[in-house]
Amino acid sequence: MSIVLPLDEDQRDALQELLNISMGQAANSLAQLIETKIDISIPKISTVTPNELYGLLFETKDAFYTRQSFLGDIHGEVMSVLSQSGLVEVAKLMDYEEPLTKEDIQEIILELCNILAGACLAGLSDQLELTTNLNMPTLFQPEKSNFSDLQWQHTLVMEVQFIIAISSFSMRVVFCLDDESLIRMKDTLDELLG
Amino acid sequence: MFEQLVSKLPVGIGIVDEAFNVVYLNDFFLDRLPHELRKDYKEQPVTELFKGQGKFLKRRLKSVFVLQHPSFSYWEQRPHIFPFKSSRPITGEETQMYQNMEIIPIKDNTSDRKLACIFLQDVTAQASYFRAQQKLSQALKKEHAEQRKLIRKLDTAQSQLIQAEKMASTGQLAAGIAHEINNPIGFVTANLDTLSQYASHLLAICDGVESQITHFTEEMQEQMQSLFESNHYALLKDDITELIDESSEGLSRVRDIVENLKNFSLETADGYQNIEVCSVAKQLITLISAQYAKPEYKFECAKEKLEVIGDPGTLKQALMNVMVNAAQAIEDKGFIKLSIIENDNDIAFKILDSGCGIAEQNLKRIFEPFFTTKPEGQGQGLGLSVAYTAIEKHQGKVSISSKEGKGTVVQITIPKSPPQSFSTDNSEPATEAFSK
Repeated sequence: MSIVLPLDEDQRDALQELLNISMGQAANSLAQLIETKIDISIPKISTVTPNELYGLLFETKDAFYTRQSFLGDIHGEVMSVLSQSGLVEVAKLMDYEEPLTKEDIQEIILELCNILAGACLAGLSDQLELTTNLNMPTLFQPEKSNFSDLQWQHTLVMEVQFIIAISSFSMRVVFCLDDESLIRMKDTLDELLG
Repeated sequence: MFEQLVSKLPVGIGIVDEAFNVVYLNDFFLDRLPHELRKDYKEQPVTELFKGQGKFLKRRLKSVFVLQHPSFSYWEQRPHIFPFKSSRPITGEETQMYQNMEIIPIKDNTSDRKLACIFLQDVTAQASYFRAQQKLSQALKKEHAEQRKLIRKLDTAQSQLIQAEKMASTGQLAAGIAHEINNPIGFVTANLDTLSQYASHLLAICDGVESQITHFTEEMQEQMQSLFESNHYALLKDDITELIDESSEGLSRVRDIVENLKNFSLETADGYQNIEVCSVAKQLITLISAQYAKPEYKFECAKEKLEVIGDPGTLKQALMNVMVNAAQAIEDKGFIKLSIIENDNDIAFKILDSGCGIAEQNLKRIFEPFFTTKPEGQGQGLGLSVAYTAIEKHQGKVSISSKEGKGTVVQITIPKSPPQSFSTDNSEPATEAFSK
C-alpha cells in the first residue's frame, strides 16, 4: 500500500499494545458470559479507502453484518462480521432454545456484536483514558450500500478476529475512526508515550 | 426535583440490584403494574414481577452485571418484554405495547453497590407504522408479481396471435399457390400421358421399319441405316421411356406435395373433430422431408389407424413445429423417428431425433415465446410456444429431454377425447424439462 499510515511508528506500536490488552479483555468478557474458550487474532491496524473497507468486510463468506456507532471523546463506527456457521452452537451457549427463529438469530447476532464491540471499545477507552459511549447495534447489509459514494478518503481501521474454539464460529470486529478522533487519539497516544 | 423528573419521564426507568430485585420503578412502570402489585413491588425480583420474559430479562441483566456494559433489545426481535397494554386501549389497533429496551450498568454513589438501569421505550406507534408499511410493500410486491404474470400471459397471447395470423396468411397463400399449381400440373400430366402413348407409337413405327429393312434396295438400306445412326436411334429408344416415366413420377410427387399442402392449409373447420393421427403423421413426414431432405425419417405405430378428438389445425401445427425443429437440429446425417403409442386414455407422440440437442440452460426456456437460439432473422422463437399452447388447448402434456450432441426426445400426450369441457382458460399442461 502506498498510503502512509497517519500514525508514526511509536504511536502505532503503542496502539497495537493497547489493542492487544483491550481485545484480550473483550475475549475474556465473552468467555465468562458463555463459559467457553475464545481465541483472538493479533489486532491489525491499517489505513483503508472506502473500497478497501468494503473488500475487508467481504473477506468472510456467508456472513452476517452489524454496525454500531460510538460517541464521546472519539467518534466512529464498529462493524462486525459474523460467520453463519457455528452460530447455532453459540446460541446454545447463550441459553437459546432450538429451533431458532429468524428473530432469535437476529437477536443473537446483535447481542454478540454488542458484547464484543462494547468490551473492545470499553477496554480501549480505558487504556487511553477517554470516555466513549456505544450506541445500539443495528443489522447492516453492506452489499446494499454504496461504499464508493462515501465522503471520506481514508480511515484508520483496527481489526480483530474472535474464534470460539469448540465451534466453527468466528467473528471479526472492525473499528473505524473519523478524522477528528484520529487526531485526538494521536495526541492521547503521544501523551502516553511522552 | 430530579426524583420527580425521573418519575415523570415518558420512558420506563427501572433499577434492579445484582439479585435482580427491584430498587426503583418510575411512574411509567408503576402506572402499568397490576393494582395488587403497586404497593409492594420493591425488593421483589424483577423476573418475578414480569414473568413472561423472565428468562430473557435474567440473561440480559446477568450480562450487564458481568460485563458492565449496556445491553439492547429491539421490538423487531422481541416486541413485548414487559406485558404492558398499548397506551390506546379504546382506539388503538395494537393491543400490546411494542418495546425497545436498554439496560445500562450503574453504581450507587453512596453504597458503591452495582445496579442495572432498565430503560423501556414505547415504540408501538413506530412499530405499527412500520408493520403497516411492510404490509403495504408486501401487497405491492404481490400485485407486481401478478401484473408480471399477466404481462407474460399477454405476451404469450400476442405471440400466438402473431403466429395465428402468420399461419392464416401463409395458409391462404399456400392454398392459392396449390390451386395455381394444380391447373398446369393437370394438363402437363395429361399431355405427358398422351406423349408417352405417342412415343410408344413412334417407336413401334421405327421398330417396324427396322425389322423390314432387308426388303428395301441396298441404297435405301444404307440411307435408312445412316438415318438411324445419325439420330442415335438405339440410345433414343432406350432413354425415351425412362425419361417419360421419370417425368410422370416427378409430377405425381409434385401432386402429392401440393395435396399435402392443401390438407394442411385448408383447415377451415374450426372446432373439435375426429382426427386420424396415423395419416396425419405420414402426411407430415412427406411434407417435411420435401423441405428437409438430409435426415432419414422413420414412422412407427402399432395400429394402422388411430383416432383422437381434437382440433386438427392446431394439433397438426404443434406436431409440425416440433418435427421442423427436429429436422433443423440435424445438420448433416441423422434420423428422425416419429412413434405413436396408444395408451388407455391418451395417445402419445414421441419425436426422437439424433440432432445437435438442446443446451441445459436453454431447456427451461424453450417454450417461452420469442426464445430462440437461431441467428437473428432466422427464427422467431415461436414454434414451440405455439406447440405448447396447442397442446395446452387439448389438455395434453409435453415433455422434453435432450442431451447436447446426442439428440432430443419430445413426447406429446393428448387425451383421446378432451375431458368434460373444451374450455381451456385455466388449464396449464405440466411441462418438465430435464436432461439425461
